[in-house]
Amino acid sequence: MDAKPPVNGSVTRRQFLRNGARLMTMTGLGVAAGALATRSTGAAWVWQIDPAKCLRCGNCATQCVLEQSAVKCVHAYAVCGYCQLCTGFFWPEPNELTTAAENQLCPTAAIKRTYVEDPYYQYSIDEQLCIGCAKCVEGCNRFGNGSLFLQIRHDRCLNCNECAIARTCPGEAFRRVPVEHPYLLKTTSR
Amino acid sequence: MKPEFELFDRREFFGVVAKTAAVIGLAGGAEAGAEGQGTANPFAYDISRFQKTDPKLIAYEEVTRWPIPHKDARRLAIGPDDQLYVCAGNYINCLSRTGQRGLELALAGPACCVAVARDGAIFAGLRDHIEVFDSKGGRVARWESPDPKTWFTGLAAGGNDVFAADARKLVVLRYDRTGKIAGRIGRKDAARNVPGFIVPSPFLDVIIHRDGLLRVNNPGRHRVEAYTFDGDLEGAWGKPTAAIEGFCGCCNPIGLTALADGRIVTCEKGIPRVKIYSASGEFESVVAGSESFPENAHACTDLNDCIHGGIDAAVDSDGRIYILDIVTSDVRVMKRKG
Repeated sequence: MDAKPPVNGSVTRRQFLRNGARLMTMTGLGVAAGALATRSTGAAWVWQIDPAKCLRCGNCATQCVLEQSAVKCVHAYAVCGYCQLCTGFFWPEPNELTTAAENQLCPTAAIKRTYVEDPYYQYSIDEQLCIGCAKCVEGCNRFGNGSLFLQIRHDRCLNCNECAIARTCPGEAFRRVPVEHPYLLKTTSR
Repeated sequence: MKPEFELFDRREFFGVVAKTAAVIGLAGGAEAGAEGQGTANPFAYDISRFQKTDPKLIAYEEVTRWPIPHKDARRLAIGPDDQLYVCAGNYINCLSRTGQRGLELALAGPACCVAVARDGAIFAGLRDHIEVFDSKGGRVARWESPDPKTWFTGLAAGGNDVFAADARKLVVLRYDRTGKIAGRIGRKDAARNVPGFIVPSPFLDVIIHRDGLLRVNNPGRHRVEAYTFDGDLEGAWGKPTAAIEGFCGCCNPIGLTALADGRIVTCEKGIPRVKIYSASGEFESVVAGSESFPENAHACTDLNDCIHGGIDAAVDSDGRIYILDIVTSDVRVMKRKG
């Protein structure tokens, strides 16, 4: 036999408490699910620079919240021409092609030049010294194969909700990428 | 006479308020504008001083400019009758001294280089072979390269020999006029003191100089090298620097030609410019500086790398220099000033 609805829409104390308990339970579950989902999203996506959009503006060196930027120059060795005159390493008008400080383009001497065989040299980045200024990236892209490019190093990046560099990036080169594929690497010179 | 401390009337009051608001607004706008422009990049890679040429060094002026019939130009050459042969796309086009279109040769693939012999025979370099035409455009022969990876980027035709620069295999092939390979020039060979060509981008060129030697650009070493037809290295010159007297970037020069008196004309990319050196390599003057090729210069400042820019040059019997801009697809005719 069906229970009769309360007259004039009124509820009994028991019904009121039961409904209240259901509401609280649903609300709690919703909050927990929301918090879980938010945490999951935060961990699954990280910031990265699209090298094809990077304008080498210098903001990566100056805008990061870290004292030394989380952005570093990286080198695609498969793309590199191993040039004797690397325009990412040397000033446009070097006195001579040696590693003397006055010939080097990098403000922190973060690029190491190693002889391979005549006339090839290998260029590697010392990330402890690199400040992510992109000066070498511009030199390499302007005259060379573009094997030097910037990437956010995730062992340093705080993964801020709002990246301070992304906010000022004129090329809109910053984007969120899945944590499973945290780098956008160059594989060809184009 | 107004009292000393008279209160503003309504009109005066609104006027003062409006002026004050305008001044504040202008100041605020200027500040906001300054913020919007941002500060200059303290790490800028500045090559602006190399992109303007000292006018005193420029010895030539542009007489005229012709568009070429097809896109994707690569090289040009001068024939015995001073006609200009331009390879662009799948075609080789002949242009008269006044820019009138003449013979057009359709090829099976993109034309990479061209040379014309004294007898009028036309040699068209495709990526992996050479096609030979008579002076009227009739196909005479097809010369295969010895290597399937060949990438011909320069040709020079002499009386009995044709020299083909293979940018991928780093060698200049010497063909006889029957298409048989008679020698290989420029391969790394310590015993002959030949250092080998370094060609990071596909621009290896060869010319036959009036002194009887070949001149070949070695872009990765930033120099021009002189070889005998048998492959002996006789000398080299060139300095790696963006300054006007040297060759800029990773790999220059990319093209060569010679004036009748033996001086060498060089072409560069990156900072696109055409310059003249003595036969022994002393810098002499500028034919056209970087400011003459703004679109070409921009090809290397874009997000892409610098393999899309480039220029080539040829010289006619009057000493006029023809410059092919492969970005704007036109030929500039340059005449010595004065």
